[in-house]
Amino acid sequence: MSGLKAGSPTGVLDRGWSATVGDYAIAGGWVLGGEALVVGDAGGGVYGFDGRSGAAVWERHEVHEGGVLAMAIHPSGTAFATAGQDGRVLIWSAAEGQVARSIDVGSGWVENVSWSPDGQLLAASCSRQVCAYDADGAEVWRSDDHPSTVSAIAWSSIKELATACYGRVSFFNPSTGSLRQKMEWQGSLVSMVLSPNGDIVVCGSQDNTVHFWRRSTEQDSMMSGYPGKPSALAFDSAGTLLATGGGEAVTVWSFRGKGPEGTRPGVLEFHQESITTLTFAPGVRRLASGARDGAVVVWSLQKNGNGSPIGAEDVGDSVAELYWRPDGDGLAALDAQGGVTVWRIGPVNGRTSRPRAAQRTSSSGG
Amino acid sequence: MNTSRRVPVTILTGFLGSGKTTLLNRILTEEHGKRIAVIENEYGEVGIDQALVINADEEVFEMSNGCICCTVRGDLIRVLNNLNKRRDKFDYVLVETTGLADPGPVAQTFFMDDELRAEYSLDGIVTLVDAAHINQQLGRSKESTEQIAFADVLLLNKTDLVNGEALDSLEARLRGMNRMARVVRSERANVPVDTVLDLGAFNLNEVLERRPTFLEPEYPFEWTGVYSLDAGRYELKLAEGPDPAMSLIVVSGQATDDAALREGAEWCVREYAEPAEIIQPGGEIPFDKHVNLRLDVPGSKSFFLEVDTPGLFGLYAQHLAEEFQLHLRNADGAVVPVKADRTWVAQHEHDDEVGSISIERDGDCDPQRLDDWLSKLLSERGVDIFRMKGFISIAGDSRRFVFQGVHMLFDGQPEREWGDAPRRNQLVFIGRNLDGQSMREEFEACLV
Repeated sequence: MSGLKAGSPTGVLDRGWSATVGDYAIAGGWVLGGEALVVGDAGGGVYGFDGRSGAAVWERHEVHEGGVLAMAIHPSGTAFATAGQDGRVLIWSAAEGQVARSIDVGSGWVENVSWSPDGQLLAASCSRQVCAYDADGAEVWRSDDHPSTVSAIAWSSIKELATACYGRVSFFNPSTGSLRQKMEWQGSLVSMVLSPNGDIVVCGSQDNTVHFWRRSTEQDSMMSGYPGKPSALAFDSAGTLLATGGGEAVTVWSFRGKGPEGTRPGVLEFHQESITTLTFAPGVRRLASGARDGAVVVWSLQKNGNGSPIGAEDVGDSVAELYWRPDGDGLAALDAQGGVTVWRIGPVNGRTSRPRAAQRTSSSGG
Repeated sequence: MNTSRRVPVTILTGFLGSGKTTLLNRILTEEHGKRIAVIENEYGEVGIDQALVINADEEVFEMSNGCICCTVRGDLIRVLNNLNKRRDKFDYVLVETTGLADPGPVAQTFFMDDELRAEYSLDGIVTLVDAAHINQQLGRSKESTEQIAFADVLLLNKTDLVNGEALDSLEARLRGMNRMARVVRSERANVPVDTVLDLGAFNLNEVLERRPTFLEPEYPFEWTGVYSLDAGRYELKLAEGPDPAMSLIVVSGQATDDAALREGAEWCVREYAEPAEIIQPGGEIPFDKHVNLRLDVPGSKSFFLEVDTPGLFGLYAQHLAEEFQLHLRNADGAVVPVKADRTWVAQHEHDDEVGSISIERDGDCDPQRLDDWLSKLLSERGVDIFRMKGFISIAGDSRRFVFQGVHMLFDGQPEREWGDAPRRNQLVFIGRNLDGQSMREEFEACLV
């Protein structure tokens, strides 16, 4: 433990700006190469902020009746998609905050949305079905019913989409509709992440375990001992470190050598309550974690998964999501009170030389 | 976690046609000032705009460990965790299950998922019963039995379709299966909303305040009369009654105060477990022995008692005295007056496998022995235990320990101070084929 305290702007987190949206900030992302941040909330509103100043550039209220459930940024950074309880997916222009396409996916909630790595296809899940749409919003493919509601989706390549639900992970080619691979395991899979090369698929399960498969060998393993359900999962960009939540500690497994089977994970302890979100910075072994206690922590990790906190701050309420700016020099946090907090990432080893006063802007214009 | 701010949840179960939709509509249209979210299964028909109605497929998720207690409703976890994020939260959640649902996974969901547990509290389980059809349903499906067993409120609905006598016997059958539940009769689910909402049913205090006798033990006899008898021969006379036989124990040296009656009753419970000696009309009844009086001949019947030593005698009879116009005459033919009498909560004739076991004991429990017993009981019998709740006096702790559970899931914490109140223990289990006698003995062994 490094002596960092939540609430004091120590370490690499240099407070840039903060703002608020109308309700629980559900999802967001950096657009326009990090020049802007978009956020969707539980009240169904969608907001665009200037990435440097935090000024509200545009805001759209009650777009998704019942609330926003998911958001995905197009790889180009110029467009993004939102999904909501209203059964719709909207495709937006990032700069103007205008809806370019509206897609009716189904009568249930649309809980997941994801762009293919080349930006050609948009996948969305609604109840037990998964659909893929082209850039014009035309439906390319609709799956048969899964055995239960689809809990997570992820692209393993530009041509292949993974879906997770109770008891099963499936890999589809949306262009042909073919089922390419299926892995079964009796458990309620609540989260999923793929290694960057698509070979390792990892799921958190309701029964407080993490289950993973190596697709090339179909070998599977289970990590147990978590005190809670591991709903937050993240792979680093090299595909060797897997960070998992499932309690107050972050557990980091290393896939180097013969690991992680039979190895001891790194255990990162700082948070006082359950981890809600985990994300690796692009290109480096640097991890950001958020928790129900409102703390945001940045960790520097070693190859074996151990690590130490190099920055921490308290945003005051449960952290919903964290997003690294594409250049890795900024970090955005969304929280349960609708707070949006952005930090610049300063040098490691101590405070930045010129601490800046936090500037608070409100999106509601007041 | 501020438990008082958790959103209460009521689970509504009942077979198709029992009136769930009618009740739901009734709750939603009544002025109660609550913002209610309704989680409906896909095939529900409610169309009410005062409340948010969310259609969710019933998704019952079993876990890889094969433990039925870990089985949860995945759809509820997703939907309720999401609803809770909105700033304009709901005051109340109603979950309607499909007719064939096992209530276990629904209830367990609120114990098993940490996020849900932090934000929601299970207020009660209300089971609607179609008075005209439940008897057939109970014979045919294990789900309907479980819906009865899990209930905090049994709404005996459509009573206009069944005659009074049949209703009484149906109510007795339901009570035999679940003594913890409150039984309410209705015609078209027309009950006040507070009969089904805000029950605090998982809070034993309120249950006890509502039905203070529900923890009273059951006995294999319904009536005790105490007589003061001199030496001599007495005639026990019974008129024609509803049964062809009656079990009886005549206890010598029986005092008339309530404690002595209870003590006698406990002794008789053990004696009743012994095979009875059959006594034909005209025969002599031995003392302190389980006998079975044959009453299958027409007309009134007489049996005899030979008293050598004068004293007080208690007759612990399987049926109420008035059912057979039971009375005792001395050698002169004069009726001997009853010095004291008492009725008991009669044990049900358990045609149904599902029943309730209650344990009530004064004193303190040894925490280690209690823990060992409960762990063993729940691991061996948890599958068959649908509900349990109660409070326990733990040696060395100044507070009442309250607990509740569903199957193997056990949730307990110290609650208010005992203060000057007598320290005692009350436990209720509802389950399938539970052995009350051995459970009581095992609990007894946990006492300090």
